[in-house]
Amino acid sequence: MTDHTDPDTHSVYADATAMRGSGSAMIELEHVDKFFGDFQALADINLKVASQEVVVVIGPSGSGKSTMIRCINRLEEHDAGRIVVDGIELSNDIRNITEIRRETGMVFQSFNLFPHLSVLDNITLAPRKVRKLPKATADELGMALLEQVQIPEQAKKYPGQLSGGQQQRVAIARALAMKPKVMLFDEPTSALDPEMIGEVLDTMKELARSGMTMIVVTHEMGFAREVADRVVFMSDGQIVEVGTPEHFFENPREDRTKLFLSQIL
Amino acid sequence: MRGGPLRQPSHAHGRPTARVWLRRNLFRTPLDGVLTVVFGAISIWLLYKTLSFIFVTGRWDIIRVNLRLLMIGRFPEVHVLRIAVTMVALAGWVGLLAGFVRGRQVRSGKVPADDRFTLGRAADIAERLWLPAVVILLLLLLSGTPGPWITAGLGVVAAVAGRLIGPALGRQTFGTVATAALFTALGAVPIVLYFYVVTAVGFDDWGGFMLNIFLAVCSIVLCFPLGVLLALGRRSALPLVRVVATAYIELVRGAPLFVLLLLANVALGFFVPDTLAPSTSTRAIVVFTLFTAAYMAEIIRGGLQSVPRGQFEAAKAVGLSPVRQTGYIVLPQALRNVIPAQIGQLISLFKDTTLAGIAMGLFEMLNVSQAITAQEDFRGQGLIGETLTFTALLFWTVAYTMSRESQRLEKRLGVGVR
Repeated sequence: MTDHTDPDTHSVYADATAMRGSGSAMIELEHVDKFFGDFQALADINLKVASQEVVVVIGPSGSGKSTMIRCINRLEEHDAGRIVVDGIELSNDIRNITEIRRETGMVFQSFNLFPHLSVLDNITLAPRKVRKLPKATADELGMALLEQVQIPEQAKKYPGQLSGGQQQRVAIARALAMKPKVMLFDEPTSALDPEMIGEVLDTMKELARSGMTMIVVTHEMGFAREVADRVVFMSDGQIVEVGTPEHFFENPREDRTKLFLSQIL
Repeated sequence: MRGGPLRQPSHAHGRPTARVWLRRNLFRTPLDGVLTVVFGAISIWLLYKTLSFIFVTGRWDIIRVNLRLLMIGRFPEVHVLRIAVTMVALAGWVGLLAGFVRGRQVRSGKVPADDRFTLGRAADIAERLWLPAVVILLLLLLSGTPGPWITAGLGVVAAVAGRLIGPALGRQTFGTVATAALFTALGAVPIVLYFYVVTAVGFDDWGGFMLNIFLAVCSIVLCFPLGVLLALGRRSALPLVRVVATAYIELVRGAPLFVLLLLANVALGFFVPDTLAPSTSTRAIVVFTLFTAAYMAEIIRGGLQSVPRGQFEAAKAVGLSPVRQTGYIVLPQALRNVIPAQIGQLISLFKDTTLAGIAMGLFEMLNVSQAITAQEDFRGQGLIGETLTFTALLFWTVAYTMSRESQRLEKRLGVGVR
């Protein structure tokens, strides 16, 4: 494990704690390391996300953004450190993993809808099988969520018959159906045609306004500026800088951040 | 596609005359011309030979006289009625199941409730069933007795009646207990019918094409779940399960089916006293099941591997347990992706039931078709060509029907594929 008194990351950690107070963290990552073979994908990651906070994670590809949020719901296993979601510490205990996955919704870059199920069944499957809702109740919930993402008329269709933007909105509805306390977004607009990015971002903005706790990995700087409470910049598996959007886009402190921003803006 | 508005423009542009068409497609170059003449001659000669065998030189008496042996073997005369009853009941059962499934689909909104019998649907049914219908008609004509005609007639009536009642049953919503009872009753029908027949005539006295069909159906029903379990076992995270499944698959796939059948016939006697040993037909079913399951496992494993990793991740992320991930998300996609290979394997199994005749002495159709050429009336007349042709026709009809139904299934399940 990396020495956690390293001044750089220590200041970041302090920064995060100072912003929100240390009491009601929804997600806590402490000294998290992750290796793929010899390659260190995450190096001493420290991050606290408060309830109802929207954190946007940016950084060059391969910097560990996706790996970090995939560790939070155990799609990847972290090798060292602690991950706590809503008071539940992630361990090898399958019950804890299941518990955390129920509290965490995830939206993927490539949608990953179930192609053999109708749109409505995609949404209601988990509530019915995991939460044991009766079919009628689950269908009602599913239709309400489809209203929320504004495509109720697509309920009976199959994912393959929908546009990319519609598919991603179904994916958001599917994740919300388990009534999660946290939503993780893994580059939700990167696989979309440009004209469909807006509709998905609008849905996400709506969700942020409703008070959902969100961690969003994205390249959409406009979204980060407008919606984020904090922006996290990652590079080479480390959190380099954390700050409010204003701070981040106007006065970045670190050279690596400045370089990255100069390349993309 | 033919007729209607399409015909107009093709006339307007002038359809090629026969001469032009011939020149374009068959005689474009001198080489084309030579090939056309040579292969045309060969085709005509083959066609002539085949037709003259079927209609002129072939002596089909042997089939007509032995039709009962070919179809049901030495099944005792007094109990043939039980077969007729079973067939009518099965026809009704199949119709009922088809209607029931349709009703369920209507209830869940997957298909429109419109159940009117249109010309299009009639054409669709005709296209599906014309081949087996023609062959069954041929068999009825050959039989020359009223029994089979009555059975077939009642069978059709039962199937249609079942198909009409089924949807009403399927649309109903019952309580948990009633639903369980209904499914148990539906599932029990073939088992009850089996005992109805087997209590009168022991399994070892079944024969003919009926035995081939029965061996195949039992083995197909049993080998499928076993194949799924083996495929999942081979991908299991538990090393012991994985080793056992892999060892089983590799061991069984390495042995010739014929050898396994011989072994089951001979070697079982070394381990089990004769009185306890299962009947030959049962042994054949066990061997076919265990053998085909190994192949099915590898086919299904291919299907499992074709499901993208994102599907597993999405299933995990919504909180499904590993068993539910497999049952609801992965397996349905995996099985659908490999329908053609699975049906191919099952067709192969169906045809391989003829091996049980030679390896184990069962009186199945191929065995019958050889045995009858040694009858006094037909001995030494070289009629094996006739009997084998007839056997091949029946096997081909069933196999081809299976293949067509699988293509249809594939198309229907293909709705909404990525």
